[in-house]
Amino acid sequence: MNTGLIISGIGHASLIGWVLFGGAFQSEPLPFEVTEVSMISSDAFEALLTTGPQPDTVTEVVLPAAPTVDLDPVATSQPDQTIATDAPQVSPEPVSEIVPAKSPSPVPPVPEGIDTAPVALQPQDFATLVPDVGARPIPRPSERVAPLAVAPPPPEALPDPVERDQVTQQDEAETPAQEQETTAPQEAATEIVTEAEEPSGALRSSLRPPSRRPAPPTRTVETPDPPAAAATQAVVNDALREALGGTAPDVPLGPPLSAGEKDALRVAVSVCWNVGSLSSEALLTTVTVGFDMSRKGRPVVSTMRMISSSGGSAAGAKQAYETARRAIIRCTGQNGYQLPIEKYDQWKQIEITFNPERMRIK
Amino acid sequence: MKLKTSIVMLSAVLSLVACTDPNRFDNLDGAGSGLFGRGADGSGLGSASDPASAAYFQQAVGDRVLFLVDQSSLTVAARATLDWQAEWLLTNTDYTAVIEGHADEQGTREYNLALGARRADAARAYLVSKGVPSGRLQVLSYGKERPTEVCSQETCYAKNRRAVTVLTAGLSG
Amino acid sequence: MMVRVLFVILVWLGVAPAVAQTGPLRIEITEGVIEPLPVAIPDLVAETARSVQMGQQIARVIAADLTGTGLFREVPSSAFISQINDFSAAVQYADWKAINAQALVTGAVRVQGGQVRVQFRVYDVFSGAELGDGLQFVGASDGWRRIAHKVADAVYSRITGEGGYFDSRVVFVSESGPKSERRKRLAVMDYDGANVQYLTDSDAIVLAPRFSANGDRVLYTSYETGFPRIYVLDVGSVQRKVLESQQGTMSFAPRFAPDGRTVVYSLSQGSNTDIYSMNIASGATSRLTRAPSIETAPSFSPDGARIVYESDRSGTQQLYVMPANGGEARRISFGDGRYGTPVWSPRGDLIAFTKQSKGRFHIGVMRNDGSEERLLTASFLDEGPSWSPNGRVIMFTRETQGVAGRSTLYSVDITGRNLRPVRTPEGGSDPSWGPLQP
Repeated sequence: MNTGLIISGIGHASLIGWVLFGGAFQSEPLPFEVTEVSMISSDAFEALLTTGPQPDTVTEVVLPAAPTVDLDPVATSQPDQTIATDAPQVSPEPVSEIVPAKSPSPVPPVPEGIDTAPVALQPQDFATLVPDVGARPIPRPSERVAPLAVAPPPPEALPDPVERDQVTQQDEAETPAQEQETTAPQEAATEIVTEAEEPSGALRSSLRPPSRRPAPPTRTVETPDPPAAAATQAVVNDALREALGGTAPDVPLGPPLSAGEKDALRVAVSVCWNVGSLSSEALLTTVTVGFDMSRKGRPVVSTMRMISSSGGSAAGAKQAYETARRAIIRCTGQNGYQLPIEKYDQWKQIEITFNPERMRIK
Repeated sequence: MKLKTSIVMLSAVLSLVACTDPNRFDNLDGAGSGLFGRGADGSGLGSASDPASAAYFQQAVGDRVLFLVDQSSLTVAARATLDWQAEWLLTNTDYTAVIEGHADEQGTREYNLALGARRADAARAYLVSKGVPSGRLQVLSYGKERPTEVCSQETCYAKNRRAVTVLTAGLSG
Repeated sequence: MMVRVLFVILVWLGVAPAVAQTGPLRIEITEGVIEPLPVAIPDLVAETARSVQMGQQIARVIAADLTGTGLFREVPSSAFISQINDFSAAVQYADWKAINAQALVTGAVRVQGGQVRVQFRVYDVFSGAELGDGLQFVGASDGWRRIAHKVADAVYSRITGEGGYFDSRVVFVSESGPKSERRKRLAVMDYDGANVQYLTDSDAIVLAPRFSANGDRVLYTSYETGFPRIYVLDVGSVQRKVLESQQGTMSFAPRFAPDGRTVVYSLSQGSNTDIYSMNIASGATSRLTRAPSIETAPSFSPDGARIVYESDRSGTQQLYVMPANGGEARRISFGDGRYGTPVWSPRGDLIAFTKQSKGRFHIGVMRNDGSEERLLTASFLDEGPSWSPNGRVIMFTRETQGVAGRSTLYSVDITGRNLRPVRTPEGGSDPSWGPLQP
């Protein structure tokens, strides 16, 4: 064969082959996201937000009022005029000669016969990515006010500080379980909400909600173990206690009660301290109640006495003392207060001061 | 003959004199019921075409002036209406008037009584300044007790903020 | 080695005293809860067969009074474990603790002739003891509601330490008819809406009645002469008398001084409205304010030494306090809005008022110097607050808007809780709460 023919044939074949199949060897450019922003009406913007899933929170989240976008009517009919966004502030590009006479202010120019007048986009036209935080979050009004907010309990639950599930007698159970009704702490807010204050969440406008729902609020208010709230302080104290060699059990008086344990007692009694029915006089009075505790953690009622009072009148002090006494007795519970038995000498005599100063403001 | 003619002419003149309706003033007492909150209605006030009638005063002259929110000062339109009222009252001297002041419901009860009094008195003072003898005018306030419009919006509130001149027939002075 | 032993001993000595605390454990509690106190109110024990129904009725009224305060919650009788069948028998505290009743009210009733006798006791269940002593009330059978209210007052006082307010009456304006032609008449009722009695007919507009401090007379404004004038009405005889009838003036917004001998009111003359006082017996008047602005809605302090009123001398309605015989006034309202209808609490510690701001009306309270302003309600139109005898509850008028708008009486606790309507036969407005009845 003729060399030239072969070479020409190969050349032609490769050329044809490249033309036909060469595209397969090219790698596609890496895909990247292009956010196209188009002009939409304020109604569509609002609809966009409301169709998203709402986060499950106790407080009400107020959706943002859709910002009124003052659109130049001509511009909306020309979607190809949309300006891709990388910055909220876009200076209007003059399309016609007449436009530069207008200053590029955020206010959309009044159409004066300019059919392609661009619109200066206001910063609010775009989805607000920064949550607008309200002045002060106000909880939903509730009949009961307590330091920790509690979500509404299941309807069949009887009100009780301790949450218990319904336990019915099982015939085949080896250890007969005590019959219990479902109980749950009553719904509570952290402060009194009057009609004049409208409940509001901390956010006035919200971000596009995340796909994962946040965890529901915790329900239990009373726990025998040191609550997590005091954890940090308790951890520090525990560390200090151990550093002092407090783990030695052969010390006859026992180590001092940790702040966590004191806190547990404090929280346990405060849940039953109902200041709702105190007179205004009694709310001005601070009383100190002293009593003895049995080894089982039960207060000895006959030893209860008012040690001192301050502020308010004698009648107010009497009222405050009785309410405090009731609180201590009521929250004793089935098994008494949970205090460490090895430190019994530390807590066989207790004095609790009830100071309603902070409850007055609520 | 001359005597007969004079007698005939005299009796003719006398009979014409008696043609006025002696009960003319009785109907106008209906306007006095405005004191008890009914407001002057059109019945029994004479026909509106009679420029000397209270109906004419109500419809053609305009018996009420309106006020701005919380204001008791007279607007330009109010003064114009009061000018006509003054003119009418000076022409028809046998009427006295009670000027009723009102307020819209966006206020507390006692303050609105006082505000209505202020408005009524503003109209009265203006009429006096135009020459109407003050002895013919009285001031009364209804506060927010007698609204004419009850839709609880500004269109209705604007109509309730008023001072209405209600005529009563009677001897002037 | 010695150093180490020494070191350990030193640490030991250092630690031991810190560990050896023998004093009582001291803790401070600053946070509590605010919740209705569960109380059990079984039917009163009937001492005769005829008294059974009375025992039930009285228990219901006591329960309604206590739960109506918002401070108590009734434990339903279906939950009772033990019953109260004998008023003198000992109480099984364990049974009441089990149903979480913290207070227990027991009673006995006997109806005989036209008289009814009620005995009662209050128990603090968790302390296992009686709260105070038992008490007994005797009265006419017709007045059984008043006896029930007196029992409720005693229970309320013992548990909360506050004075009671259940055995009291409220005078108000009963309204009917369309909004443009309201027919108004004076009425008086028990604070809970029972026993309504009409004092005037609806021929003339009547406004803003006010009880005297001992509840024997009512001051009010009436248009029966064609012009607003103030009248005093004796509640017992329903006889009335006009107080101020000067020609060419209008008088309104009257209030009694605490001693009941003086009346303070507003007088409009020309375009000016000022505050005057009058000695009822002699009719002598004196002018307390002298300003070209509107001064109205005066109210005495409970000791009779000062008067709070509203004035628009600053351009908008604000609250001012002056001595009871006139004199220099001090402004006490400074918030953003307009303030009116001030009323001094019978405890002398707070002043209630109506506030308008941003197109809404609110009932609020503030201290006598204007500090600690708190708004309790918000609506289209709330106005005209009046205090309960113990200064804990406020009753006021709430109106709804539009053609079908009507007025209703509402009450609210001074904490802002427990907002609830007061039932009246027709619409109601301008309430004035009378004193605790003897």
